[in-house]
Amino acid sequence: MDEDSSEHGTAEQWPAGGALLDEVPRDGGVEGPIVIANEFADVVVTRVHTRNGVRLDIWSPRRGTRVQLDAVELDCLSYQEPETFTEMLERKPGG
Amino acid sequence: MTATGTSEGVQRMLADMREGVLQGRVPARIFNDQEIFDLERDKLFSTAWCFLAHESEIPKNGDYVVRYIANNSIIVVRDEHGNINANLNMCRHRGNMMCKSEMGNASHFRCSYHGWVYKNSGELIGVPYFKEGYEGQLDKKQWGMIKIRIDTYAGLIFGTLDPQAPSLDEYLGGFQFYLDIYLRQGAGGSEVHGPPDHWVAETDWKICAENFSGDGYHTPVAHQFGFHLGYFPSSGATHSEGWAVHIPDKGHGIGLGHTPGMPPFFGYPDELVEQMRGSLSAEQIEVFSKTRTAVGSVFPNLSFLIQPFSLVPGEPGVRFCTMRLWHPIGPGRMEMWSWCLVPKDASDEYKEAAYKAYTLTFGQAGTFEQDDFENWTRVTKAAGATAVRDVDFPYVMGLERPRLADFPGPGYAVSPYVTDTNFRNLWSTWLDYLTREA
Repeated sequence: MDEDSSEHGTAEQWPAGGALLDEVPRDGGVEGPIVIANEFADVVVTRVHTRNGVRLDIWSPRRGTRVQLDAVELDCLSYQEPETFTEMLERKPGG
Repeated sequence: MTATGTSEGVQRMLADMREGVLQGRVPARIFNDQEIFDLERDKLFSTAWCFLAHESEIPKNGDYVVRYIANNSIIVVRDEHGNINANLNMCRHRGNMMCKSEMGNASHFRCSYHGWVYKNSGELIGVPYFKEGYEGQLDKKQWGMIKIRIDTYAGLIFGTLDPQAPSLDEYLGGFQFYLDIYLRQGAGGSEVHGPPDHWVAETDWKICAENFSGDGYHTPVAHQFGFHLGYFPSSGATHSEGWAVHIPDKGHGIGLGHTPGMPPFFGYPDELVEQMRGSLSAEQIEVFSKTRTAVGSVFPNLSFLIQPFSLVPGEPGVRFCTMRLWHPIGPGRMEMWSWCLVPKDASDEYKEAAYKAYTLTFGQAGTFEQDDFENWTRVTKAAGATAVRDVDFPYVMGLERPRLADFPGPGYAVSPYVTDTNFRNLWSTWLDYLTREA
């Protein structure tokens, strides 16, 4: 429904092509990046260390969007019904 | 009697075939003809229960495979609540194909044309520019994916395009008794071992369906290497022994080959036999324990074979099971799917051995498969030749053979194994569908 890239995250948040993977710390036993893909979408998932903690980075290269979720947000995802994700896609089906 | 547009010649051939089959004659032309292909599409595959997938191919939520009934592409998927759904593989907006992959995992399907999004169970939920473009005129509830009626038996998912079709249970009509030899191998039943082999063959699907309805006759000739090199525990001298059983007017048939002196349940691991003694009926045990080869077809185009086969010539055989779908895509042309079924509760070691035996024999590089398709492709070519159009083939083997009064299983059973009895029932049933009023 909404094709405006500003609503997906601004371009400034994005490193230049290929640079993002270099940003991901490789020390400290980080495993990844992990690619999750099917014929409808593909995302790159990595664990990102901040100074004081860790977040899960979800990057959609094809769409050019990115979100970094902390433990509380991920925990929240873990107990959602499948319909919650359906509602999210209903609001922003993408293209 | 037949569809509008069917030529007088084909209508006459089918009318003559009614009596001809009873007398043991089947016209060659049915195995390679555009009009017959069209009639099968419109009258047979549009009403029969057709195999789609095995439940173990979609074990997790979101798992899907793409299959066909006639020329209809169908997504068979386990939804986010664990239920199995089948929907036409088509976006309701402009008809684009939703899933291009043969298999995958997805919670939602998103059309690559305009971006309509559906739950994997088929409901339309996402429409780009819904507010700006449609201004409240599109009721999403009315534009979900088109559902296909499905039902299951022992892990097999069937679909039918006919809302009025009888239940799957009624359609199988007692053949379930025999299907259990393939589908209830052990207490946990059977599962697919890996994805299916899938290829195109220049062969008419019916030749294969007939062969797997119990053609033990071809085995010592077409597959003679198996006998001569010691791969296959049967000999030409006794190969005709066993039983042929069909379900009258349903088209399903099975050949049960028997080798004299072979130990009961030969080729299965002992622990599996113990399980089957608990999960099968006494009648099934009596039949299956004596069976070396079980080769059967569910009408119209799903077949199975189970038999022991030696991985190394002369060594004791390993029992393997293949399930195959003969999917017509044109006159004399088909897509072939071939799966290896293994007992779910068997050891990994046995599953691997059974898979090796399957691969050695079936799948596009399998020895038996190549033997068969070499012959079947030539039969198909001959059937399409102009001088063969009015030629009949003889189906008189076992024409006077009496029905066994004391056979433990349902259906019409005769002995020996080598006979055309099942095939006459197959062609009569096929004819029933093709000549049925719309």
